[in-house]
Amino acid sequence: MKRQVPLVLCFLFGIVMILTEFSPHSDSQELYKEVGRWYLVITPFAYVIGVMTLVQVHGTRIRRRAEYWQYSYVVFAGMILMVVVGMPTFLNQTPFFQARGISFGLQSPVFEWLFEYVQVPMEATTFSLLAFFIASAAYRAFRARTFEATLLLISALIVMMGNVPIGDYIWNTVMGETPWTDGTSWARQWILDNPNLAARRGIILGVALGVISQSIRIILGIERSYLGGD
Amino acid sequence: MLEKIMNMDRRIVFILAGLAVVIPTLLPVSLPITVSEPTQKLYDYIDALEPGSTLMMAFDYGPSSLAEPEPMAEAVLKHCFDKKVKVVGVTLLIDAVTLADQLMQKVAEEKGAVYGEDYVLLGYRPGGFQVILGMGSEIASIFDNDYAGKPLSEIPMMENITNYEQISLLLDLASGSTVELWITYANAKYDLTIAAGVTGVIVSQMYPYLQTGQLVGLLPGFLGAAQYEKLINSSGKGTAGINTESFVHLLIVGLVIIGNIAYFMTRQRGES
Repeated sequence: MKRQVPLVLCFLFGIVMILTEFSPHSDSQELYKEVGRWYLVITPFAYVIGVMTLVQVHGTRIRRRAEYWQYSYVVFAGMILMVVVGMPTFLNQTPFFQARGISFGLQSPVFEWLFEYVQVPMEATTFSLLAFFIASAAYRAFRARTFEATLLLISALIVMMGNVPIGDYIWNTVMGETPWTDGTSWARQWILDNPNLAARRGIILGVALGVISQSIRIILGIERSYLGGD
Repeated sequence: MLEKIMNMDRRIVFILAGLAVVIPTLLPVSLPITVSEPTQKLYDYIDALEPGSTLMMAFDYGPSSLAEPEPMAEAVLKHCFDKKVKVVGVTLLIDAVTLADQLMQKVAEEKGAVYGEDYVLLGYRPGGFQVILGMGSEIASIFDNDYAGKPLSEIPMMENITNYEQISLLLDLASGSTVELWITYANAKYDLTIAAGVTGVIVSQMYPYLQTGQLVGLLPGFLGAAQYEKLINSSGKGTAGINTESFVHLLIVGLVIIGNIAYFMTRQRGES
């Protein structure tokens, strides 16, 4: 039963949703919208599962004293703090916070301060580190070892220089007296409009065909890995 | 010597990259910016909108990648408020809603736009593509109130905006795959006109949609923000950012060329 019910539900909803897409009948469209509303109701439960998993993983780390287990306390502290501060709860009505002009909620100054001065800089800093690693990786990896690698290298250099105004500035300074201005951005645009577009379109079509075939396998119950287990 | 150059300590590269960011930031330089066709198309489309038209702006980026899409959002908001085009803000990412709120308030203050009359922030709802599909039928079925909790029925601007039929353009400012979602579900199903502003790393993915006309315009990374700022004659973070980025790109290109020269010289020596 544990496997049959999900398989039957998947088959039924899969077939019905495909059919509604091709039927303009009002009942069919109403069903389509109704199932869409169910989806919106179900989605927030993913957050509940997410929080449960987070608590489970970090709880286990602390219990087992796994490597860097102390940081799991930071995870819990951050999560609890942001939830308490971000939700307009009964705390807003308590005399203690009212007397001090402190309120809670997504638009409260406390939440916005924590978001702006803690979350934003932390996330931005982590992401910014990529620039340094990319610079180092590009230096090591971009070597013209083969014909294909040379093509990739040349294209990358042109696109990189065409993506910033200094590319055209250098081009126009060197080629100032010729009629060919803004050559770097022109070359970048050509690469994006032609080889890139052709390759990208091939990838999109391939992925789309793969998604369709995989969906059919799931609807027909051939592909069952989403059920977990063996 | 050549071996040393080829196996340069990564910390030296890190220091050089740091200097390439810090020096142009502290000593700003002004480089001439050429406006690309996709940016020009977006500007022309918005510029041709009648006063009172509505643009929906999807803030689909988080704090980690805000450096690129935020200057784009700021420039487009300025343009819309100057043109008296109304703006409806939404997001498919939970992280983005506070960023959108702060930015819209900031630009509105600067341009004298009034909340509820010139712009509205609907906020975030979980559900991704179903949120997009649901708004196509009726926006109020997904967002019964705005970000601040005010019912849409009490917001004057939303009186005549019920679904995508009243939206002249959707601009998705994205750092991920949301543009494809908007194209698949809002453009293909509801014929909503869409443009995008995306981070540099996903620009190349957008070109097939640009060629088919599914995107009417595209702001490519920092460059797009700087180009739009040039078009509205208001240089800001986009222009500052692209000038700094110029020197980082120049450094990387220089390092790659030096590395390859050293590689070829080493190979030649090995052969002889």
